[in-house]
Amino acid sequence: MIPSSTIRRSRASSSMDPQSVKNFDTLYKDHADLMYRFAHRLCGEPEAAKDLVQETFLNAYRGFDKFRGDAQISTWLYTIASRACLRMRRRRKGAPERELSLEEFIPTSDGEFRLQIPIDGLSPEAALHNKQLRAALDTAINQLPKKYKMVLVLRDMEGLSAKAVGSIMGLNERAVKSRLHRARLFVRRHLSARGLGEALIDHNHDSRGERRN
Amino acid sequence: MAQRSASKRKRHASTTRQPHTHGKSRCLRILRQLSAYIDDELSTNICHEIRRHLGACPNCETFVTSLRQTVSLCRHSPAPTLSTADRALMREKILKTKTASSR
Repeated sequence: MIPSSTIRRSRASSSMDPQSVKNFDTLYKDHADLMYRFAHRLCGEPEAAKDLVQETFLNAYRGFDKFRGDAQISTWLYTIASRACLRMRRRRKGAPERELSLEEFIPTSDGEFRLQIPIDGLSPEAALHNKQLRAALDTAINQLPKKYKMVLVLRDMEGLSAKAVGSIMGLNERAVKSRLHRARLFVRRHLSARGLGEALIDHNHDSRGERRN
Repeated sequence: MAQRSASKRKRHASTTRQPHTHGKSRCLRILRQLSAYIDDELSTNICHEIRRHLGACPNCETFVTSLRQTVSLCRHSPAPTLSTADRALMREKILKTKTASSR
């Protein structure tokens, strides 16, 4: 997941000149794509993601001297981006911050135990070729309260360990796993909602172009 | 894997309407641990207990299948990509802002 160059770079970073454009360019070249992917997944749309990437690298540029080199540079950048994301007030606001309780995820009817999306017999890659399914998944993730969304994105989409996610978000592993579980249940519930299967077919035209970058 | 899941789903489709023969509190206790279960983080004893429950509770087994599918979709969701032009434009903006703030 994390390129090996990151590890080598983290060892060399302590000698970086904080004011060096050349060093900034190396950092940016190696990590801009990674940070954009993360930012896009957090923000759910490209313009907000670009703002977040710029904020992240600007803060990283300003804070080179604070980076002690005892962590991977990618982890350091994820931390800066996560904090910037929580600070940034977006024009398109996400779901309000609220706590998710396990009780709210208990299905109340037979139909809600299974997913209501076309996935039977398909690999996840094949299922995700369906634009409507991708849109339904994106919608579910984007409706997550931010602190849950961040854990889901870092753990299940960026592929980081629970320990790394805890380090980035300032949480212990138990809290990371608790939030991750609730976030997964939230997305699962959205994808198992009655009528979603029909909606995926009925609104075929509405969801086109939702994943443009 | 996909075929096995599909066959499981077919098997459960005919059983999901069976009434519960145990208290829902047991299902809730299982539900609390399902992420740890599918991430293989639980002890052998607890895994065995969960598997035994899933074997006896078609609703919970359908539920865990749907949670596995959800996690799998998240893990395989296509990565958004940054265009070369946008990458260059953002670099310029960052350097410009940094220069302006250093004055």
